[in-house]
Amino acid sequence: MPGQESGLTRTVRALQWAMAGLAVLFIGGIVTWIGHLIRTAWRLGDVPSASIGISLVAIPVFLTLLGVILYVVRGLLGDRSAR
Amino acid sequence: MADRREDRDAVLLAPIERTGPGFYWTVGALGLLILWGAIAYWTQLEGGLGVTGLHQPVSWGFYVTNFVFFIGISHAGTLISAILRLSKAEWRRPVTRMAEVITVMVLFIGAAQILVDLGRPDRIINIIRHGRYQSPLLWDATSISAYLTASLVYLYLPMIPDIAILRDRLEKRKLLYAVLALGWTGSPRQQHVLNRAIAVMAVLVIPIAVSVHSVVSFVFSMTLQPMWHSTIFGPYFVVGAIFSGIAALIVAMLVFRKAYGLEGYLRPVHFRYLGQLLLVMSLLWFYFTFAEYLTGYYGSEPEEMKVFRAKFSGRFWPFFWGMALSNFVIPVLCLVRLSRHTVGKVLTASLSVLVGMWLERFIIVVPTLSSPRLPFGEGLYWPTWVEWGETAGSFALFALFYLLFTKLFPIVSIWEIHEGRERGLQEVEARLLSYLPDLAETGLARPGQRG
Amino acid sequence: MPRWGMVIDLDRCTGCQACVMACKAENNVPAVGRREAARGRVISWMQVLTEEDEGHPGEVRRFLPRPCLMCDDPPCTKVCPVYATYLNPEGIVTQIYARCIGCRFCMAACPYNAKYFNWRAYQREGPDRNPDVSVRPKGVVEKCTFCHHRLQKARERARAERRDLGPGEYVPACAEACPARAIVFGDLADPGSEVARLARSPRAFRLLEALGTKPKVIYLTEGEGRG
Repeated sequence: MPGQESGLTRTVRALQWAMAGLAVLFIGGIVTWIGHLIRTAWRLGDVPSASIGISLVAIPVFLTLLGVILYVVRGLLGDRSAR
Repeated sequence: MADRREDRDAVLLAPIERTGPGFYWTVGALGLLILWGAIAYWTQLEGGLGVTGLHQPVSWGFYVTNFVFFIGISHAGTLISAILRLSKAEWRRPVTRMAEVITVMVLFIGAAQILVDLGRPDRIINIIRHGRYQSPLLWDATSISAYLTASLVYLYLPMIPDIAILRDRLEKRKLLYAVLALGWTGSPRQQHVLNRAIAVMAVLVIPIAVSVHSVVSFVFSMTLQPMWHSTIFGPYFVVGAIFSGIAALIVAMLVFRKAYGLEGYLRPVHFRYLGQLLLVMSLLWFYFTFAEYLTGYYGSEPEEMKVFRAKFSGRFWPFFWGMALSNFVIPVLCLVRLSRHTVGKVLTASLSVLVGMWLERFIIVVPTLSSPRLPFGEGLYWPTWVEWGETAGSFALFALFYLLFTKLFPIVSIWEIHEGRERGLQEVEARLLSYLPDLAETGLARPGQRG
Repeated sequence: MPRWGMVIDLDRCTGCQACVMACKAENNVPAVGRREAARGRVISWMQVLTEEDEGHPGEVRRFLPRPCLMCDDPPCTKVCPVYATYLNPEGIVTQIYARCIGCRFCMAACPYNAKYFNWRAYQREGPDRNPDVSVRPKGVVEKCTFCHHRLQKARERARAERRDLGPGEYVPACAEACPARAIVFGDLADPGSEVARLARSPRAFRLLEALGTKPKVIYLTEGEGRG
């Protein structure tokens, strides 16, 4: 019945959103790390072009992955019509 | 009706529901090998890398060979599964998950090889704090992270409907399956979301996979060393990776086909198709290898020839010619005619290729280091029990991860089999009709009439 | 800004290896022991490479003392993942032992095999060690540093005495020890220095020059343009 959720369902839901949160943290962490490497290379004058060039490809790829993950989690979990 | 569907495929759920003695024996055997590897690594942590056979000039040996080899195998999964999905090959259905699991598990093992190779693994955090993107090792770190993430997602998404089946049917591990099933009910909207995401991933994962092994090859080709500094390395390694990946996939398929009684799902036709792919890759690998060595030999640069001769007729000749035999001669002989004894021939070819591709990685890494440009004296590399143990332990750990996966999740994608049965036939028929000329256009029938 | 370099006159070198021993003593380079040496793990920052003379097989040998070549375009620093080796503004390729993760990529990349690895814990602190040079732990890469610690000491002494660093005040152990005075060390950027003058000699050549590493250790060939 809509509106009535057992404790188990609530735990499950919480864990599922936690999974999504973990994905955000993980990929966000990687993107932050790449930014850190760019900043360090810039500061030290140590071939910053390499860092920038790679990040131009790597960061969009990681963000796309994150986008797919969040799209799926929202698309599946947010689908109340089936309930 | 859903129940009847799953009963037809009950054999796919059987390994998850029941565990026989075979499982425990296998885990025990793998455990022993892993123990050997663990003791070997512990010895190395205590005594330093001196417990291996490495020295100056051969400062890279088994561990780097294993690294390249395992990362190469990772191309099995995702590449095969993604390409077969995108080309709508219907025969992929029982194969895709096996391939995807190989990728994910072997990437962990491959990345671990580099950790094992470090002189100071306690300082691994330096890569994060002080990494330099000019170094190919950082390209490796980024690329492999991307590939691992992408493969995990690409493995997980098509698992969701199957996890929902497990959530609904099984009593054990209900929380795990309920969480991972992400509320899957099979509604049209959910199916649309999932199919779209899988399609995006199938496209995204291919360039990432290509970048991974290219970047692994750049570790060698970005140096100035003879027979490493070669422009062919990027494509050569990718081809070799797909080659070894298909072989690993075939072996995994055959192992679990026997162990779980999946003969109904993994039929000779699957092995014939994969065998044909393996044959094509063998010929492609041979072409790249031939081009590489002919170029070196024709140029006759003295320092390159030193390495070339060491591989061709010098102290590395058993490994070089063993590689040629295992990667080309045996597979071609086995795979040209696959109508009879398909499974046996394909298995022989695959095992041969796995051995041959490991030898190929070894032949790339060690001979160049062993013949330095300056009159340093040749390096003779003899691996010790530590390196053998680490290698055995790594293979066993990969097998154990794979085996544990098959105990938790179905190794053949149940919902894709259902989809194949229910929709595949119509889709293929519609596609076929779209290729053929319309009957009205051929003038064979009057408009409005169908032949 | 000085640019430190070295000229080694192969005609003067007798292969006595006094440079090797002086370097080992000065820089706390460990004696790895007979067993490890047999397994190819000798650490020798300055190493005398030998070659048979083509004209007299088995008889005359050529000696090539090979320190770190201190390349101006070092292949080793390019591939280091963690800044453990880098080219400092004065032209010395330095090594940071505390940063090195022991991946040995620099060893694989160096065309001169000038880098060495501590395969075991070969070194200990002790009264017989040079206190100016750090003792390296196991698992890190090391190599010749042109006795950089001597430069730092000389600079500090000069600063304390409120004067500039004089020529000849900073000499690595190998140059100091060579009895034939085959090794000349100095500032390549100073056109008047002896090392810069010798580097312009018609006998001067660079090892593996075609690779483009631009080494700052320059050799003077033996005899009348031989070698």
